Amino acid sequence: MIQLAQVQKRFGARLAVDALDLHVPRGAVFGLLGHNGAGKSTAIGMLLGQVWPTAGDVKVCGHDVLRDRAKALAKVGAIFEAPVFYDYLSGRTNLEILSSYTAPTSPARIREVVAWVGLTGREDSKVRTYSHGMRARLALAQALLPGPDLLILDEPTNGLDPEGIHEMRETIRRLHAELGLTILLSSHLLSEVEQLCSRIAVMNQGKKVFDGTLAEARRAQSWVRLRTSDLGAAVAELRAAKLVVAERDDGAIALAEGAATSDVVRRLVELGFPVHEIATEKPTLEDFYLSLMRQGTPDAGRRTAEA
Amino acid sequence: MFLIQLKHELWKLFGKKRTFIGFGVFLLAQNVVVLMFRFSKASTGIRRALEGGGYPAADFITAETIATIVVIPIAYLLLPLYVALVGGDLVAKEAEDGTLRMILARPVSRVRLLALKWLAGSLFALLLSVCLGVFGLAFASLWFPQGGLFATQIDGDGPRGGFSLFGASEGLWRYTLAHLLLATKAVSVMGLGFMFSCFNMKPAAATILALSVLFANGILMNIPWFADYKGWFITHHLNLWQWVFLQPAPTTRIIESLCLLAGFNVTFFAVGAAAFQVRDIKS
Repeated sequence: MIQLAQVQKRFGARLAVDALDLHVPRGAVFGLLGHNGAGKSTAIGMLLGQVWPTAGDVKVCGHDVLRDRAKALAKVGAIFEAPVFYDYLSGRTNLEILSSYTAPTSPARIREVVAWVGLTGREDSKVRTYSHGMRARLALAQALLPGPDLLILDEPTNGLDPEGIHEMRETIRRLHAELGLTILLSSHLLSEVEQLCSRIAVMNQGKKVFDGTLAEARRAQSWVRLRTSDLGAAVAELRAAKLVVAERDDGAIALAEGAATSDVVRRLVELGFPVHEIATEKPTLEDFYLSLMRQGTPDAGRRTAEA
Repeated sequence: MFLIQLKHELWKLFGKKRTFIGFGVFLLAQNVVVLMFRFSKASTGIRRALEGGGYPAADFITAETIATIVVIPIAYLLLPLYVALVGGDLVAKEAEDGTLRMILARPVSRVRLLALKWLAGSLFALLLSVCLGVFGLAFASLWFPQGGLFATQIDGDGPRGGFSLFGASEGLWRYTLAHLLLATKAVSVMGLGFMFSCFNMKPAAATILALSVLFANGILMNIPWFADYKGWFITHHLNLWQWVFLQPAPTTRIIESLCLLAGFNVTFFAVGAAAFQVRDIKS
């Protein structure tokens, strides 16, 4: 549904996106993670033909966005972080205006979508009277009007209260379940991505530093809490035995690929270290994300699950 | 589809209160000037000029004459201000508000979007010019009789201070034609504001730049030693509407200026479109 190949975007001397490869398969709910300024919005801008890439290919729905933007975006809906409309016009008029840039839309279709997002009865009020949550629903309605196959959501819960965030999350779930849409969700909220997405890509300083499923992300770095009489010496022995690759100040160790906690226990007992406690920490996306960010230079932490 | 999109552009434009500032100020200014002519000694100068030339003043101190006098300062100062304001808003305001990003998430080409906006802006400029003429004549008719037209020569080839006189029907016809030609000035100034609006700048900056270009042109054009180069300045051609009041009307010059203004407008659009096409639209 979305294919970016070696995409680069430079704003003057600043490299906003560098050598970005991204593949979002049809039917996926794909999370694009990264802190503010990581390059997510620029990447989305390039997907929508709003930002011109310096290099690389951008394809949406099988069409090159640069050469055939009209076809590429014919079945795409998008929502941006701050839903803005023509405040002095009604919700319905806003929908008519925005949808006309894609294709003629019947009043029945507008009614249907307004009902779907729960704005029935308020569609003829001026948008300036809408709450932030209602604006978010109107934004969703305008994105749904063209009957999209792909929905691009750029920080859709920004500025919403907890109830609004919950509502938006449920709506995204419904969109995927009921309409079968492919969804690209850009966010810096890990919990949001964790709850909605089946696959994620993480960006840092314009580079993709991870691309894979959530399960792969959790597996990528799991920590084991270890308590023994002399932790430093024990870890050194475990490192020498190639069972451990990293340790944290709080006594947690990261096992080498293929190593199990039973191997660690066996080795420590053989060496005469008493094992007071050993337990695998439940890996969270937050741990994984923070570890990627801590690595600083993206290349150093590059982990592509596909590789 | 283009017409539907144009209708929507007009909804956007005329849905904003600021779009109507020009109409409101015209109404106010015209009424004030007409009432001053009616209830002061302001028409004495016209009477003196007419009677000094042996013309019956009563035949020419008319609604048409007063409406024409009213339109001159408005066309020089207020009309460019309001059309530049709207032209400067057309793209830059949408970019500033963020609605441009919403539009450009859809499969509409940038050039088509600009064409829609330019057309909407031009229709506004045309409407404003027509309203200026209609309002002026309507209000003047409340206090002055219909009749002949006395028009001073502001920017003709003749001596300054000279005037032309027309009978009732010809006067009305010239008044109408002048306002239609005034619309070309309004469209061109709007186009200038629109061009700047396509660049990455604030709406107010686009308006100020457009007015600055006009004022700079006007200043240069009015330096006596540059008289031979009048034709190089857009402000000279923007004044073509006044030439209708010359006797006889310089048809060739008017057509020549119309062609040049068409060229200016195409250039403004092309420059704006080129700048807009290469721009990155970001929040």
